[in-house]
Amino acid sequence: MNFRILLKYWRTILVVAEMTIRQQLMDGFIIFTILFQPIIIAALALWMLKGKGPDYAIFVVVGSGLTGLWSSLLFISGNSINIERWIGTLESLVAVPTPFEVIVFGKNLANVFQSLLSMILGYIVAAWLFGYSLSIVQPLWFVISLALTIFGFICFGLVIAPIFVMSPAVQQWQNGMEFPVYVLCGFLFPIALLPNWTTPISYILPPYWAAVALHGTTTAGTPLNQTLFALGMLVLFSVIDILISSRLFKVMLFKARADATLGLE
Amino acid sequence: MNAIEINHLRRVYKTHTGVIKRTSKEVIAVEDISFAIEEGELFGLLGPNGAGKTTTVKMLTTLLIPTSGTATVKGFDVVKQADEVRKRIGFIFGGERGLYWRLSGIDNLRYFASLYGVDPEVSKKRIPYLLDMVGLNGRGDENVGGYSRGMKQRLHVARTLLHDPDILFLDEPTIGLDPVGARDFRNVILNLQSEKKTILLTTHYMFEADALCDRIAVINHGRIIALDTPGGLKQHVADLSVVEVETFGVPESVLEKLRALSFVDSLAVENNEQKQMLLVQTRRGAEAVPDLMSTLDGQRLGRVVVREPTLEDAYIRLVGGEA
Amino acid sequence: MRSVTNNFRLFWQGTLLSYRALFHWLRPVTYAASKIIMPLAQMLFFVFLGTYATGKDNAAFYIIGNAIQITAVSGIFGVTMSVGGERDAGTLPYLFGTPANRLATFFGRAFMHVLDGMLGVIIAFGWGVVLLGLNLSHTNLGALALTVFITTVSTCGLGLLMGCLSLITVNVMFVNNFVYFVLLIFSGANVPISELPAWMQAVSWALPLTRGIIAARSIVAGASLAQVAPLLWGEIGIGLMYGLFGYILFSWFEVEAKRRGTLEVF
Repeated sequence: MNFRILLKYWRTILVVAEMTIRQQLMDGFIIFTILFQPIIIAALALWMLKGKGPDYAIFVVVGSGLTGLWSSLLFISGNSINIERWIGTLESLVAVPTPFEVIVFGKNLANVFQSLLSMILGYIVAAWLFGYSLSIVQPLWFVISLALTIFGFICFGLVIAPIFVMSPAVQQWQNGMEFPVYVLCGFLFPIALLPNWTTPISYILPPYWAAVALHGTTTAGTPLNQTLFALGMLVLFSVIDILISSRLFKVMLFKARADATLGLE
Repeated sequence: MNAIEINHLRRVYKTHTGVIKRTSKEVIAVEDISFAIEEGELFGLLGPNGAGKTTTVKMLTTLLIPTSGTATVKGFDVVKQADEVRKRIGFIFGGERGLYWRLSGIDNLRYFASLYGVDPEVSKKRIPYLLDMVGLNGRGDENVGGYSRGMKQRLHVARTLLHDPDILFLDEPTIGLDPVGARDFRNVILNLQSEKKTILLTTHYMFEADALCDRIAVINHGRIIALDTPGGLKQHVADLSVVEVETFGVPESVLEKLRALSFVDSLAVENNEQKQMLLVQTRRGAEAVPDLMSTLDGQRLGRVVVREPTLEDAYIRLVGGEA
Repeated sequence: MRSVTNNFRLFWQGTLLSYRALFHWLRPVTYAASKIIMPLAQMLFFVFLGTYATGKDNAAFYIIGNAIQITAVSGIFGVTMSVGGERDAGTLPYLFGTPANRLATFFGRAFMHVLDGMLGVIIAFGWGVVLLGLNLSHTNLGALALTVFITTVSTCGLGLLMGCLSLITVNVMFVNNFVYFVLLIFSGANVPISELPAWMQAVSWALPLTRGIIAARSIVAGASLAQVAPLLWGEIGIGLMYGLFGYILFSWFEVEAKRRGTLEVF
């Protein structure tokens, strides 16, 4: 897939996103992952980081929002294809002229968008429950970073979902991938705390760059060129992910059709 | 040009058993089939469960890759030109799944219309029209989760017609429907045919195939064992009569004796809860009845009817044995 | 005498049932991931966050807190699912139709998860020592082991109650996850209880894990068993209380279901 296809199917993407949100609206597990878990983490982190002063509140809000984004991507988007198979709609989705990646893109868009709610709610919790005043240092760059973060996460999800489908072995580790990313990507504390050998791992994870950009534009003390570099990396990874996912989806669909695993029998 | 062409299509499955010591087994779902369907034809694929009907349909609808052989739909190869095929076909697999139960009927249709690339202006008009056509008028706003099985099937029909495909694949579409629902469904199929659509229908209901299809291919164990019009197939049994004997559980030894009778061409047994129906094909017609009765002496019997053979009997003869 | 052996047999069968149920759907890799990697991942997250927040000297506070909290995985997810799973499996009517001693079958189910939970905590402590420099040189290991056991049992007691509740609620996973994460706050694993507002402290003391964590921290710092005994007694009491609540609820369900003829609803 490339950007041309994304543009061509923009309307379809929006419809898919709309239907995904509606279908998931009442799902308890999803509501928990998108809303409650990040808020609980936010409250916990706000307590733990109280000693750092009220300026840290925005850091916690952004960081816990990122945890929500990641958990949502890992569990909801990661399972999205398998869930379609379970409902019995996967075959119908594969046999349409619309490229399958476009459909998954739309689903990821819905999930990421819903997760942003958690960031907003975290904001409200911090402001209302704790009485912190939350100011964003660089509002314009923050919005740009947020937009690129959304796009970056969606693209990362395009790589994760087919890998989970093709390799049940990898998916078995799904539960163990949640917290490590929180740690390695510096959501709620800087990766400088971690041993040096983990740094390269952080660098190849798109959420890390998203965290750098978002924290950099909301908390004082980060030079702009550092933020720009992070945004650049985020865009780079997004492009790489789109290219890789194109290949992955082709392989996944061919394999599924050859092995007869599109349906449940 | 033929709408659908199949050339020596073959599909083999590998199954694995065991966790530690994995042994694999090969199951041949479709062994070697070849046939062609003309434009505008209503073609039936008839066969018992496990014969390979659904596998064939899945290969033609690009959901399954053949192990060997080729198939084209409107001239496009189902493997190499899958996208072109997908634009031109619609399909229904019988059953309740395949719809989003938390969405309304209309939303389900809007979703698939978008996926099929139907222009929003067009789908705005077409969706109400289709809902009306399948008799779901007024129920479109309800969640599919609350639909009855028949309603879900009808929504599937609407879904499959959203992009106005020329070719339709209906895989056991009336399964699980009550008789009235099934009959209504068949009317829908006939209407579709009158619109010059090519339809491939798989079923194991003989009368359905007989009533609807222009031609029928009988498939068993992954092979086509007959291909003809319904009338042509019935010629296979034109010389036969069928004696239907209602019984209440005849031991196998007696059935063997019946089969061994010289004038009995074949014996099929239909089990219907407590009752059994023995279908005896014989050239002797009504004259065979006394001899049959003496063989069945001592067994509890119900009605005995002598009738003309139907497509079902032709099918039994071709497939041989149990119904 | 006969009834004692009978009950013991029931208890043991409940344990075996849970064992098989636990491992039947769980592939070895998934089990390893959840027992070894997940606790480590969670612990690392909170230890780093905690030391970032309050300084490296406090590492032990977070290590011990999260290590003990790991038992909530077995207690809440494991036990709740094994009781609630009866409904999904449709076996509840059959269970209720037997003359088996409810107490024995009921508590037998939890026992397996007690063992499983203890294993998780021990592994977590292992990680703490090996990777994070937890100093156990002043620790009375026997007392620590006893604390782990008692805390695990009491968390499973809560799990039994929640399992019964899950028989009537539809969204089990939501409740499970919610309680698990809330315990991260209320148990004092990551925030000293004294820093919580008064109403939250009251809730903390009413929950399992709270006393166990405080006791464990004291023991690692060098306290003796006698010194933490009051806390441990409290922990046992809490656990038994929840377990008994669960059992009463379970028995009440049975009577109600049979009276109303709604067994299949459960």
